[in-house]
Amino acid sequence: MHRKQLKILLVVLALAVSASVWAGNKKKEKKTTAQMEERQRAQHALNRLTFGPRPGDVDRVTAMGVDKWIEQQLHPEKIDDSALEARLEPLRTLRMDARALVEKFPPPQLIKQVADGRRSMPSDKTERAIYESQVEKYRDKQEKKAAKAEPADQAGDNQGMMLTEEQKAERREARMYARDQVDKILALPTPDKRMQAILAMDPQQRQMLARALNPEERQQLMDSLTPQQREQLMAMNNPPQVAATELMQGKVLRAAYSERQLDEVMTDFWFNHFNVFIGKGAGRYLVGEYERDVIRPHALGKFQDLLMATAKSPAMMFYLDNWQSVGPRSPVGLGESPRARNNARMGRNRPFGGPFGRPFPRPQQRPQPPQQANAKKQQRGLNENYARELMELHTLGVDGGYTQKDVTEMARVFTGWTIREPRRGGDFDFNQRMHEPGTKFVLGHTIKDHGEDEGKEVLQMLAHHPSTAHFISKKLVMRFVSDNPPEALVNRMAGTFLKSDGDIRQVLRTMFDSPEFWAPQAYRAKVKTPLEFVVSAVRASGADVSNAMPLVQTLNQMGMPLYGAQPPTGYSTKAETWVNSAALLNRMNFALRFTSGRMPGVSFSPERVLGSAEAPSDTNAALARLENTLLAGDLSKQTHETILKHAVDPQVTGRVLDDPSRPVNLGVLAGLILGSPEFQKR
Amino acid sequence: MSITRRVFLKGGAMAVVGTTVVPAFLQRVAFASEKAATGKKRFVVIFQRGAADGLNIVVPHGEASYYAMRPTIAIPRQQVVDLDGFFGLHPAMSSFKPLWDQGHLAIVHAAGSPDPTRSHFDAQDYMESGTPGLKATEDGWLNRALRNPADKDTSPFRAIALGSALPRMLAGSAPAVAISNVNEFGVGGRNPQAQPLSNTFEAMYDQSVDAVLHGTGQETFDAVKMLKSADPAKYTPAPGANYPRGPLGNALRQVAQLMKADLGVEIAFSDVGGWDHHVNEGSVQGQIANRVGDLAQAMSAYWIDMGNLAEETVVVTMSEFGRTARENGNRGTDHGHANVMFIMGGPVRGRRVYGRWPGLAQEYLYEGRDLALTTDFRTVLSEVVYRHLGNRNLGAVFPGFEANPNSFLKFLG
Repeated sequence: MHRKQLKILLVVLALAVSASVWAGNKKKEKKTTAQMEERQRAQHALNRLTFGPRPGDVDRVTAMGVDKWIEQQLHPEKIDDSALEARLEPLRTLRMDARALVEKFPPPQLIKQVADGRRSMPSDKTERAIYESQVEKYRDKQEKKAAKAEPADQAGDNQGMMLTEEQKAERREARMYARDQVDKILALPTPDKRMQAILAMDPQQRQMLARALNPEERQQLMDSLTPQQREQLMAMNNPPQVAATELMQGKVLRAAYSERQLDEVMTDFWFNHFNVFIGKGAGRYLVGEYERDVIRPHALGKFQDLLMATAKSPAMMFYLDNWQSVGPRSPVGLGESPRARNNARMGRNRPFGGPFGRPFPRPQQRPQPPQQANAKKQQRGLNENYARELMELHTLGVDGGYTQKDVTEMARVFTGWTIREPRRGGDFDFNQRMHEPGTKFVLGHTIKDHGEDEGKEVLQMLAHHPSTAHFISKKLVMRFVSDNPPEALVNRMAGTFLKSDGDIRQVLRTMFDSPEFWAPQAYRAKVKTPLEFVVSAVRASGADVSNAMPLVQTLNQMGMPLYGAQPPTGYSTKAETWVNSAALLNRMNFALRFTSGRMPGVSFSPERVLGSAEAPSDTNAALARLENTLLAGDLSKQTHETILKHAVDPQVTGRVLDDPSRPVNLGVLAGLILGSPEFQKR
Repeated sequence: MSITRRVFLKGGAMAVVGTTVVPAFLQRVAFASEKAATGKKRFVVIFQRGAADGLNIVVPHGEASYYAMRPTIAIPRQQVVDLDGFFGLHPAMSSFKPLWDQGHLAIVHAAGSPDPTRSHFDAQDYMESGTPGLKATEDGWLNRALRNPADKDTSPFRAIALGSALPRMLAGSAPAVAISNVNEFGVGGRNPQAQPLSNTFEAMYDQSVDAVLHGTGQETFDAVKMLKSADPAKYTPAPGANYPRGPLGNALRQVAQLMKADLGVEIAFSDVGGWDHHVNEGSVQGQIANRVGDLAQAMSAYWIDMGNLAEETVVVTMSEFGRTARENGNRGTDHGHANVMFIMGGPVRGRRVYGRWPGLAQEYLYEGRDLALTTDFRTVLSEVVYRHLGNRNLGAVFPGFEANPNSFLKFLG
């Protein structure tokens, strides 16, 4: 019966393929750009516009017609993505804004306020448990600090560091108790029971429990809970971490399962272009909102809108320090308070408070020695960080023709672009009292003194600058076409950029219509980044990811932590960055682990790779089928033969020669294919 | 490129290790840890990414303008670790003081790249390519320094970078490997069952027509096999070598481990980030203190750990540019120009701050804002390449730069 179904399927496919080839041929007469056969074109388009083809994708796109499919991908709003949305449903922080995140997953400052009685505990039971755990942790720390400091000060010896016998015994006891609890909880039959047991503990015990878990037990416990329970547990242990980890899981799931693949690729591209770093202070609260509300809506829109949105985003202002940049001759720069006029809007009694615990320097904080008092007056001033990266990385490019003088003037223009209520999650705010008065001269233009509009004016100028058109086009070509971008293509795209008022969709169309994009030498010529590699493996194998954290951690090991590029340059898409011995070994090891079924949260089944048909019994046939699905048959003859040669080794395939009935270990074969040189490229 | 790599490797005696057991090599391992068996020179480069604030690291406490320009972040004179009455170390670097006193630590101040760029990316690129102002240079100076025709006995481990990426500085035709964790360097980690899979992958990459994947694959598997015979899991640093927790401490501990295992490591690279202090840099305490404390402690631990081998080892630190002489409006510093470099090692004539000090008075500042440059970083590196590594072909290592032994600062004895 299986065979019959397969036969029908093959016939249908063959018809579809020939129909589309015919359609493709017709087009070829019209334009000379098509240099690949339609099926290969489909494979190529999938490699470049998506995070890698899934089983059946090449057939589907071939049948639909490559050009039509590309046009569809350029309009993501018309593509149904409900399956992905269902997968993202449990990650509720993805739908929250920074303010809510700060409230529900409090940073240390908020906990401190609660512990010191300056703020009350939340009434919601779940939230309360989170706060209580953290307050307990905080008090514990304070006590330890006090215990350490006191005797050492008095006696001047080491006693402060030592615990009394009594304290030691107490600690031993607590440790043993926690140890005992770990085993008990792990042995409970259902997730709900386990969670109940944990919630029944007092905060101190919970803390001991968290410490008593070794990494495997932690993983085991986490895997055994529902996503909501996992979230709550993590929140009790480390609240600010919750949003960050959900965001990272969301990114992997989107890349792997979204039907709007080009939208996903472009969101990744622009995030990386306008990079912000999740590890810098408040970043962990701001980055999710930044990607969702600032980057994604404009991923295929107008460049100027994207640029403006990033410039005003708290995430960018915080990451590149602009929110603290003050005009030296502005009222604030001259020593006045920034809240004179904005009293009600700024943080109540801590106008200089940094977001979430990066205290902003406050001049009057400590009494100063008299000789320094004069120098102290000039406190806050210009910060060039954003102004520089805006031109170097976001728009003109480093050779785009600007000088240090332009950087300084640009920094003056953006003084006053700051964050309102930074400690509560923040919004854009223009603070006139921080803004440098007077005319500015940027890139040969005179910018008259008119407050917030100065910034808007220069952003417009930058968004329409020929250097920007060229710089952006070149970067797109490097992502989509080649590490060595053909200059002619870059110039044509830059032309489209300028003609279309920076319409990203139009610029992409110019690229997708170009002979350079479809040139045979472009086929499988780009080395995948770690993210592309890992996600393409998930997609190629049709694996089901129930917990994306292990994949997120894999990317950390591969040197590409998600949202974790510290420098404003973001990650490179060039081969040389990602091909080296440590990276290759990491990839091979991931491939083997992934296909072995030993990766928690990820179910890989070779049967799924092979589709509904029966698993072939001989190695050669099995390998051929796997190659076809995982690499669209693009495995070289040499690699195929190498795998085949080594596959006779029982340790490789689990096959023993005297037991022909034992099936081939398809997982290992798949692992070898995913770790092969061919699979490293797209 | 693949052909060069291959010939290079196959020409090297150590390449044989890849295919057969080499008893001589294993014998060497057994005896090597306590004596400098090979007489090889070793060179370690540490890159401080993000532009370290040299003026708060080696503090010109004899300069009145230093204090005038940095009202809140200057290191008070009474708290610096004084070196010569004019310069002093940041107090968090006190672990450097014994090294200084013993003459194993030298400093070059007002050093760096002459290119005026204040872009992290460009400046790092130039310092790694070794050709400031030239973007087209494809390989890195440290890789070119390795291509010394006089060298014969080369190992796949001759040049290593600790981390998951090979730095630009080591990019090029001479083999170099990136290692993120010595104990997990191999297919299947330390699981012996994985050997057949490792062999399969090795054969695949060996046959790959992709030049880059082919070449890197080959280097990788040669290195994996060699490391396996040295059994890296068994390692305890020498007594007193207290590496700080964190990436740099980990990296230098593994560098020492690999060097002591006598795998033929000559060049090692590690980088350390977190120096871009635009806001709240700190002074005696704070961000800068944490960074420099970590740096000094990691380097001192490495020095102790290397024991006798330290006699033949030179460590150099560098950073893409310095920071503004004045603090900015946020108690931090912005991107500047010249910076400080440390040189540590057995052959170093230490206890001295080399280079001409340009002064911090307004009229001496570069573009009116930054410490001016008086020593090109290539002058410093040329001396190490020429005198320590014995590579006389400086024109190839730093093309377009006039470096000759007469211009050296002579910090190597």
